[in-house]
Amino acid sequence: MKDHKTLKTRELFAMMTIFVGMKLADTTPSLLSSKASNAFWMIPIISFIVIIPSFLLLIFLLKKYKDKNLIQLLEAILGTYLGKALGFTIFLSAFLSLSLDSRNYVEQIKLLYFPESPTTILYFVFIGVAFIGAKKGLEVIGYSSWIGLPLIKFSMLLMAFLIFDRIILLRIFPIFGDGLDVVLTQGIKKASIFSELFLFTIAYTAFKDTNTFRKGSYLGSFVVIFEITFFFLLYTLVFDYNSVGKVAFPFHDITQYINFGDYFTNVETFFMVFWLLAAYMRFIIFLYLIAWIFAAVFNIKEFEPLILPFAFFTIIIGMIPDNTLLNDLFYRDRLLNYMTPLFISFPIILWIVAFFKGDLKKT
Amino acid sequence: MRLKTIILIIMLIPLFLVGCYDKKELEQQAYVVAIGVDKTDEKGLYKFTFQIANPEVGSAIVGGGSQEEPKETVSIKGSDILTATNTANSFVSREITLDHTKVLIASEELARSGDFIRIMQSTARTTQIRRGVQILVSKEDASEFLQNINPKMETRPHKYYQLILDRAKETGIIPEAEIHRFFQITEGDADLFLAIYATNKKAKEKDDGYEDEYVAGQLPKEGGNNSQFMGSAVFKEGKMIGTLDGQETRLAHVFDPTLDMDDLLSTYPDPIKEEFRIGADYSQKSSPEINIEYNKNKPTKINVRVPFQIEIIAIPSLVDYSQNKDNKELLKKTIEESLEKKSRELIRKTQEEYKAEPFYWSLYIRKYFKTIEEYEEADWNKNIYPNAEININFDLERLEFGKMLNDSNLTEVRD
Repeated sequence: MKDHKTLKTRELFAMMTIFVGMKLADTTPSLLSSKASNAFWMIPIISFIVIIPSFLLLIFLLKKYKDKNLIQLLEAILGTYLGKALGFTIFLSAFLSLSLDSRNYVEQIKLLYFPESPTTILYFVFIGVAFIGAKKGLEVIGYSSWIGLPLIKFSMLLMAFLIFDRIILLRIFPIFGDGLDVVLTQGIKKASIFSELFLFTIAYTAFKDTNTFRKGSYLGSFVVIFEITFFFLLYTLVFDYNSVGKVAFPFHDITQYINFGDYFTNVETFFMVFWLLAAYMRFIIFLYLIAWIFAAVFNIKEFEPLILPFAFFTIIIGMIPDNTLLNDLFYRDRLLNYMTPLFISFPIILWIVAFFKGDLKKT
Repeated sequence: MRLKTIILIIMLIPLFLVGCYDKKELEQQAYVVAIGVDKTDEKGLYKFTFQIANPEVGSAIVGGGSQEEPKETVSIKGSDILTATNTANSFVSREITLDHTKVLIASEELARSGDFIRIMQSTARTTQIRRGVQILVSKEDASEFLQNINPKMETRPHKYYQLILDRAKETGIIPEAEIHRFFQITEGDADLFLAIYATNKKAKEKDDGYEDEYVAGQLPKEGGNNSQFMGSAVFKEGKMIGTLDGQETRLAHVFDPTLDMDDLLSTYPDPIKEEFRIGADYSQKSSPEINIEYNKNKPTKINVRVPFQIEIIAIPSLVDYSQNKDNKELLKKTIEESLEKKSRELIRKTQEEYKAEPFYWSLYIRKYFKTIEEYEEADWNKNIYPNAEININFDLERLEFGKMLNDSNLTEVRD
């Protein structure tokens, strides 16, 4: 493992906002809105409230145990075997969600911009780029995220600005959409949309000092929840309650809808460039973290050669579902539901065990 | 070692070719600017008309002046728009691309049949047709309408549609009729959707109407293009049920806070010399205030207050309204009353004839419900609106008289 440790708060912040914030522009909003109609913008807030205590608890434990990353922490608290088993479960769920997510992105690119190209070829090119990026190492990923961040966020804000005169505030009513119960249950079930925040803890020790990691992750997660909610609300206000559940890619639908005045029409390709940049960054980070977690579980020192086989397996698993709809509405929906209890509970279990072992009193 | 690297690079170069799967030369594409849809005798089969722009005409690059037509209009039968583009390729030489479509035209016959919504569904599924495409209903067959569009000044068809629709929308005589709005309103199932109404055919001219009391086809005009865009086609649940004339469409703009209209020149009766009318520029600085008082078991009360401003542009009767205080008050009252009277007529028409409103007022009742289920159960367009007590109040906030203090004094001129 390279140990330069030049990464600072801002790189982590950039990585987090791109990695998790990208969810506002993929199929996550349509997955949620098909369940809760116009109230779906509240789901991320509820999910965040549900999952953030576990995340903070994990950060707290990492702070207590000092200089350990996620897997080392698991092993230190639960013992080698149990720790490795739990680490492997986390790896599996993350890897599955990487595969399904990447398939989703590829389908979006195909459907919207490259209708004639075969999915397999697009998939190989997409993951190929992610692989090359991931191979460059954490420093390069961090810096590129930081450089790309303003461009990506600017294009998104521009989109929000251009659509602003089409929104109608009153569409927020009826306030609870399909019912408060639906919003609450979905909010709790889908808490795992923020599970990716946990994956960053594998890189806990890779930053200049652990303090920068904590600052970056607090800042990153709060910005992410803010922007996700903002854009989900925007989709509700643009599409209204009956249509928002039917639109598969609300972000792209909006970019197709807006114009720069009368002269520059059909400008979606402009937004597509930045979206694609963000999508690449997301999968570069995803691939890298997953290879790292796997290596940590199996005590592999040099984990960068692992990225290639993982990239390959991602494609193989991602190709299994027949079509996007099945992938998104069935597999991904289920996976998110299964992942939620895992990510909510494991930091709590860790804390309880650590508490009874008496580790928490040491410092 | 170097040789190996070079060979490897050469072997990787073909990989870049994967980007060519979707390669399409501009030259190989035919850009459709207008799509027409008509009914045929068979169910499930429609006649599609594509108006294809010729990008060579009217561009500065072609120096010598091309002899080609600016557009080509072709019709073909098919069951949905996209498959019809393929069939049309048996006689159109290029790949038909719908990305630049500006208007979607349905014949009145199709719109009234209720099959219209089936066609619309397929437009939402494809990425080629944008949400910003305008929906237009033509009185005659859409194919006939498109064949006969022959603007004299705008040879390039895309510019023609863009300019005429934008300008007519600014004046409020035709509504904003984007596909996006069609879906929101139709799927929302609470309000009426207004589409643009147009024709190329002259109907019986209506000579007694004032400036905006026409629907397309009725305008008594001389010269100019035959195509008229005026008034709106009213859609209820995806099916056309009637038409509104230009004036009613303007009023719908006034009452609908989600629409805006920039330019409304119109005339009002002269209160003193009744044979004349007064020309005025109506403008609205803020949205109308719509207050809905929802009552579960008795009629709901809807109070609408429209604050507006008037700039007088013509007083053909030459009566002094600007300096004489009594006259001014009288004029103010007449304008308000005239607007209120017209509004009451429109409201009565929507409540009794259509049993739903085209003003998007369902937005204002929503806050009384917590869930969609409750909201849909209360049923705005079947239950609440047709029985509501509606009170319209026009409030003239400012009356201005242009840059003249007073008109010429007729008796002095003619002594």
